[in-house]
Amino acid sequence: MIRVRQITKTFNSGRPNEFTAVSGVSLTVNLREVTVLKGPSGSGKTTLLGMVGCMSRPTSGRIFLGEREITSLSERFLTDIRRRTFGFIFQRFNLINGLTALENVMAPAYPSGERFSSLRARALAVMEMFDLARKAGARVEWLSGGEAQRVAIARALINNPSVVIADEPTAHLDTRLSHEFMAIMRRLKEEGKTIILASHDPIVHDTDLADRVIEMRDGRVIADGAGR
Amino acid sequence: MSGAIERQLHIIDFTVSSLLRRKGKNGALLTVYTLIVFILASVMFFTHAVKREAALVLRESPEIIVQRTLTGRYQPIPISYVESIGEIRGVISARPRLWGYYYDANFLANYTLVVPADQQPEAGTIDIGSGISRVREAFRGDTIGFTGHDGKPFAFVVNRVLEEESRLLTADLILMREADYRAFSGIPPGYATDLVLKVRNPREYTTIAEKIVKLHPDTRPIVRDEILRTYDALFGWRSGLVIVIFGAAVLAFVIFAWDKATGLSSEEKKEIGILKAVGWETSDVLLMKFWEGLAVSLTAFLAGVILGYCHVFFTSAALFAPVIKGWSTLYPDFRLVPFIDLADLVTLFFFTVVPYTVTTIVPSWRAATIDPDSVMR
Amino acid sequence: MILHPTVLALVITSFLTSLMILYSGYYGIRILVNWDMGSGSELQLQLERRTYLISTMVGYLLALQLVSLFLFIFTADSISSLLVGAMCAVGTLSANGFGYPALLLKVAVFLLAGLWLILNRADNQGYDYPLIRKKYLLLLFMTPVILAETVCQALFFLGLRPDIITSCCGSLFSPEARGIATEMAGLPPLPTLAAFYASAAVTLASGVYFYLKGRGCGLFASLNLVHLVVTVVAIISVVSLYIYRMPSHHCPFCILQREYLYVGYPLYAAVLTGGVTGAGTGMLLPFRTVSSLREVLPGMTRRLSATSLACTAFSTLLVSWEVLATGFTLR
Repeated sequence: MIRVRQITKTFNSGRPNEFTAVSGVSLTVNLREVTVLKGPSGSGKTTLLGMVGCMSRPTSGRIFLGEREITSLSERFLTDIRRRTFGFIFQRFNLINGLTALENVMAPAYPSGERFSSLRARALAVMEMFDLARKAGARVEWLSGGEAQRVAIARALINNPSVVIADEPTAHLDTRLSHEFMAIMRRLKEEGKTIILASHDPIVHDTDLADRVIEMRDGRVIADGAGR
Repeated sequence: MSGAIERQLHIIDFTVSSLLRRKGKNGALLTVYTLIVFILASVMFFTHAVKREAALVLRESPEIIVQRTLTGRYQPIPISYVESIGEIRGVISARPRLWGYYYDANFLANYTLVVPADQQPEAGTIDIGSGISRVREAFRGDTIGFTGHDGKPFAFVVNRVLEEESRLLTADLILMREADYRAFSGIPPGYATDLVLKVRNPREYTTIAEKIVKLHPDTRPIVRDEILRTYDALFGWRSGLVIVIFGAAVLAFVIFAWDKATGLSSEEKKEIGILKAVGWETSDVLLMKFWEGLAVSLTAFLAGVILGYCHVFFTSAALFAPVIKGWSTLYPDFRLVPFIDLADLVTLFFFTVVPYTVTTIVPSWRAATIDPDSVMR
Repeated sequence: MILHPTVLALVITSFLTSLMILYSGYYGIRILVNWDMGSGSELQLQLERRTYLISTMVGYLLALQLVSLFLFIFTADSISSLLVGAMCAVGTLSANGFGYPALLLKVAVFLLAGLWLILNRADNQGYDYPLIRKKYLLLLFMTPVILAETVCQALFFLGLRPDIITSCCGSLFSPEARGIATEMAGLPPLPTLAAFYASAAVTLASGVYFYLKGRGCGLFASLNLVHLVVTVVAIISVVSLYIYRMPSHHCPFCILQREYLYVGYPLYAAVLTGGVTGAGTGMLLPFRTVSSLREVLPGMTRRLSATSLACTAFSTLLVSWEVLATGFTLR
């Protein structure tokens, strides 16, 4: 369970361009469920995801990951927790050009110091799951949209995280690929992963997959209810 | 523990591949870097090699030389002084020497004429250094003409051309028989150019020098160590000066490196952002930047040093020997004996790699502290 | 001033380290004043990021200091030919009043930087920066030492005149001269050697005890510091005699030369590293009760003590090898 208590994130504090991206948000994310953050762009979804996913620290408020309070941890430990606990899928996938699909999938695990051979075997196994084994040696810029998407998902799973976080995953996908993405999320949920999605795409938030839909606007939660 | 090593290997692996992906940018940096190392390495290798040659010359040279002066000018010394000086306590041996310079107006070159202590050439023959042999195109069996002190022509047959390990020592040398030399130079019998002494204990140099002056007030003793010191200081000073001048170049390079390191392309920024987002920590990125710097530095350093070595020892420092050498025209083609001093390499490292590394610390840190959530914005 | 390339390199390098430590010191003060781990304010986040920069800088500084320490001695040795009466590094260093202070400060900086990095490493193991204040207080203490080192070294090189008559190691350590160096050289050789072995044995024993039982850390750390001094004294007083195979040559620097197979480099490196890691073990002792370090610190001190033990054992073996293999006797 991830509990968020009264968190606020302020940028450029004390300066004329100060603005508060998230203010006083509290929510609880249950494990093994799909939670969707819904709202227009600029509503604070991404900032909230970043804080829940240990990428940044709130200006005030507390976040509990299980029993552990993570807001007062140093960046070093936050990263460690992030690497073990969360897998991220970004808008436009954010793959690293010039590297092969396999190297992209392996990159998140480099700092863990796992043996190269076992890391490679693991990466290939994950890619096999997504029908990517044939493309392992191809550079990512040569992949099709669907393949790139699956590489991005494989990369999110390489460290075997319990929580998968996706930020506007379908923003640059056509309808077919968006549905394919949601099908993969369904598979992951069945495998027992906790999934948090942020999106203003109806394909994502109006699905029976969502156990909870939290609606945000102007940095605040305006609705919090069960999914369809 | 093996995890830590594996982590390093992964990051090195990643660093190398990311360096290779940006050949253009890194290529320019590498070229300038290598050039700087090359220039400084050449200066240091060259001065050191010349210094070493000079030391070789002086190692052979006598511990104390006694000259005679008259009204402050240098004069031939009476051979009779040998006896009284040889009796000074601590002096093992005293010996007169005959030698001098000869200016060859036709070839605009200075030769050094020496009468060797033993194995003097046959009457009418001489041994010549390789430099003279080249300039005069004279080889064994040829006859060379000189003009004597009284304007009379002298002709000598070349007995052999001296080929020694260090050509700097012998390039301008002519060895001659004593009688020939006296006739040629006009030094009267009973006189020598100077006297050389062997001394038992180096600590007695000063005392012996004082005694000689007391005995013969018209003499000037010169202690070998003084010559060595002068040479050393001179060459060290010269290369120091050259390095100070090239310090401007190093500074320019540092500014260039700073510019390269701070001017991260948006693609690179994005890449680091992605890495941090997917689980790399600031110190992982710093480590990557460290290996990147090391790879660039080592490549440039090795390439620069090897190029500098080839430049100095294979082409005889063709590019800037005139600046440092600054002496006779007789030497354009002498080869230095290849020699590398570890301390030179360490110094070179301090001059190039250290400024580069220090310059890139802050930019690397800036790159490494890109917000992990920057890729989500 | 002697305008020697290596001299220039040393001066430039020490100038750069001074700049780095001043920069770090400035942020050290800001961290001491403004640090608030509970806050998520932007200032706090910035300061936390600065800590990465500062530890990187001190890491580089340590590496530079180690190399420049040896290069300094080496340079002193090689320019001794420019000074009348100086035959090796001893002569050059005593050419003016700044030589030995510069050398001692260099060693001090190396030891302090090593301790700082150990402290830093321990601090990074805790999730809440438990040692941050101690760490930056130590950094502030280091700053003037490094500045003094830079100044001393610069004054030393500036003050060198090629015509000054200096002593050489023969006269520095000869019975007529007075001073601490002579006192060291004048110690009776065999008892000093015995003292060295006794000190090494006690240090090693306490280290092994600590490694196995996890107790006696403070004793081990203090013994390491004592052993560092004893080793240097022993090198001057007796080990050098064996290495040089001469009954009265007590120079601690000539062993860095090629004639003696550069044996001084591994020897001094092992002695310094052993001292730093051993003392570091003791430095971490008071922090065992800090909650965020309770679990990691024992492992870290064990590794440190193992490193220290290995270094001490290595230097002892090296000394024994020199003493036994030379076949030189003091009788």
